[in-house]
Amino acid sequence: MSLAPIKLAALRSLLSARFPEKARKPGSGVGTGVAAIDEALGGGLPAGRLTELVSAAPSSGGQTVFTRLLISTRAARQRVALVDAADGFAPEAVPVDALRHLVWVRSRTLAATLAAADVLVRDGNYAVVVLDVRGISERALRRAPAAGWYRLQRAAEGGAAAVLVQTPCELVPAVPWRLVLRASQALADAGLPAEVLAGRLEVEIVRGHAGATEEEAG
Amino acid sequence: MKVERLAPKALATPSELQTEGRTGGSPPHLLFAVLQVENFALHALIRSDPALAARPVAVIAGEGRKAEVTEVSPEAAGVMPGLAVTLAMARCPGIILRTRDPAAEVEAHRLLLAAAFTLSPRVEFTGVGCCTVDLQGVDPVRTEAQMRRSLAELARAGLAARIGAGETPLLAAYAARKAEPVLIVTDAREFLRPLPLAFAAPLPGHADILRNWGLKTLGDLTALSKAEVGLRLGAEGVSLWERAAGESARVLRLVEPVKTFVAEWIYEPPVESIEPLFFRLRRFAERLALELRGAGFAAEKLGLTLRLEDETDYRREFCLPEPGVDVDLWLRVLHAHLETVRTAARVAGVRLGATPTRPAQKQDGLFDTGLRDPAAFWENLARLAALVGDDRVGTPLPADTHEPDAFTLERPPETVPAPASQPVHPPRGHALRRFRPPWPARVLCVDERPVGLESESAGGTVRTARGPWRGCGNWWKPGGWAVEIWQVELAEGGIYQLARTAEGWRVEGMLD
Repeated sequence: MSLAPIKLAALRSLLSARFPEKARKPGSGVGTGVAAIDEALGGGLPAGRLTELVSAAPSSGGQTVFTRLLISTRAARQRVALVDAADGFAPEAVPVDALRHLVWVRSRTLAATLAAADVLVRDGNYAVVVLDVRGISERALRRAPAAGWYRLQRAAEGGAAAVLVQTPCELVPAVPWRLVLRASQALADAGLPAEVLAGRLEVEIVRGHAGATEEEAG
Repeated sequence: MKVERLAPKALATPSELQTEGRTGGSPPHLLFAVLQVENFALHALIRSDPALAARPVAVIAGEGRKAEVTEVSPEAAGVMPGLAVTLAMARCPGIILRTRDPAAEVEAHRLLLAAAFTLSPRVEFTGVGCCTVDLQGVDPVRTEAQMRRSLAELARAGLAARIGAGETPLLAAYAARKAEPVLIVTDAREFLRPLPLAFAAPLPGHADILRNWGLKTLGDLTALSKAEVGLRLGAEGVSLWERAAGESARVLRLVEPVKTFVAEWIYEPPVESIEPLFFRLRRFAERLALELRGAGFAAEKLGLTLRLEDETDYRREFCLPEPGVDVDLWLRVLHAHLETVRTAARVAGVRLGATPTRPAQKQDGLFDTGLRDPAAFWENLARLAALVGDDRVGTPLPADTHEPDAFTLERPPETVPAPASQPVHPPRGHALRRFRPPWPARVLCVDERPVGLESESAGGTVRTARGPWRGCGNWWKPGGWAVEIWQVELAEGGIYQLARTAEGWRVEGMLD
């Protein structure tokens, strides 16, 4: 009989003992209200994990996703924090009642953005922490040390908050889930209900898949 | 746009509002703190061995005739660092001589870091017996009280530490050396003036030169011109001057907060009785409780493993009555069990682990706050306000006007209220993401409709345009506004919102 399965089981056991937070299964997902994303993630944004949503094209729907997330979490009375690196959130674009559970941090620099996210992820009172770095130049984003992202991932692990990072390009190193919005929306659809527009978003899974959580769980 | 200032919630008790241990009378501006343990190797040894408590002890280094004392306890009268071992034994016949114990020092360092993490999650392990904490954004009154509590806990755990705080890591380090046990520097110049030059660590050659110049204190040196000092002593002289002024700033090399709450010890030789086992468990419990508290967790279970001499393990898990970090409760649970345990072989090692959980602070019903940890929520809001500005954090509330981008930032509610009923007309269209400030733009119009756009970051031929939507307000008083809004889709992709005002065209944001 081959010894490979036994060695593999021993290795998995060793790794789960050494890094218990990696072996822990993510908590239940937080629904975003966008069917394509919830299906891709197997139920919503995973708690205790980072999910990167890349807006690869202009008007590809990143803000629509955030608006639907606000409405979805509002129904569940879950708190949401938004760390807004480029100060781009427009409160008037969201129904007033869907803002009552939001804490908006209007950051000024990328360093302050990461520091604020670090504080919020450790807080324990938020279901979702959204870190929006769109609007920051890609060059400045690439210059930011990767250690900041790793630190954020470590802070998220073991916590109850799902962390959504909205970026203009593929940025976060070793992120468990990376989804990309590539198609620009059309102005001709502007008369449609926001819910219908959200349902039309095309989401590509670049990193992570349905079996990823099981794989992570060893 | 009008914004409301978000006041940090005052959580300090009157007793915490003491001013003892501060230089100057103004409220402290905390940026960095340094936790320091003098004679760290000695303290680590003593706290790991109960037989050394209140005895004359010295830590020695070197071998044979070159062996000398490096650290010494106050009980060893007449012995000082640098003394040869033979001389130390002659001066203090009962002195206990030990070499450094790396395992004990690792355990003591973890304890020191755990105390530092109760102040802020941004902590640097600076060196032996020293760590630096980035306090940017913390509530100064609460943090000062927490500093004293952490020092008291460290003292109970056998580590006599001191804390200094100031505007730079260097200033905080100087303050830690003078602290008794907490010193917060609010007036750097006044604090540095009387300190001896040795604090700035001049090169030996420079120390002699400065002595010949008649300079004795940091104040004496900084009274001279920095440029003149640089001319005479070179680049190192400039650096020395900056250190004397407490100006040297640097980026902290942060360490990760612990994620697993485990402590382990190997006995050499193995032990047979409960006392040494229980002493070690107390030390572990003190450290784990601090680590849990620093990470905002409580323990729901304790796991005890005794590694026996015959290479077998004795394991037991204890479910605690309620999640917490009560060291005495943990020790009562462990003691009650260990008294009944009989093992087949001596205990060669012990391991204690705590299973973390969030503290159960949520109260349902009449006093429902809707917050799992209200203290952390308000404290973190205050920290965020200090990071980005206290008018830039809060819950947005659109103003009751049609004026674009008009809103206020409110204090977040303690309880998230039940959602209102579904609106009769659900929201339509794409969501706007604003560019603040808006981009100035040139718009080419045909028949009063935009057909081309030029701006700093977006431009091209307009494929489709919707509009205009015109609005105005406050026209009867100063500060009136009038705007014409267009939505345009560019041929290259991207939908933008344009605004035409008396000042011209601007790109207000992207419909995304």
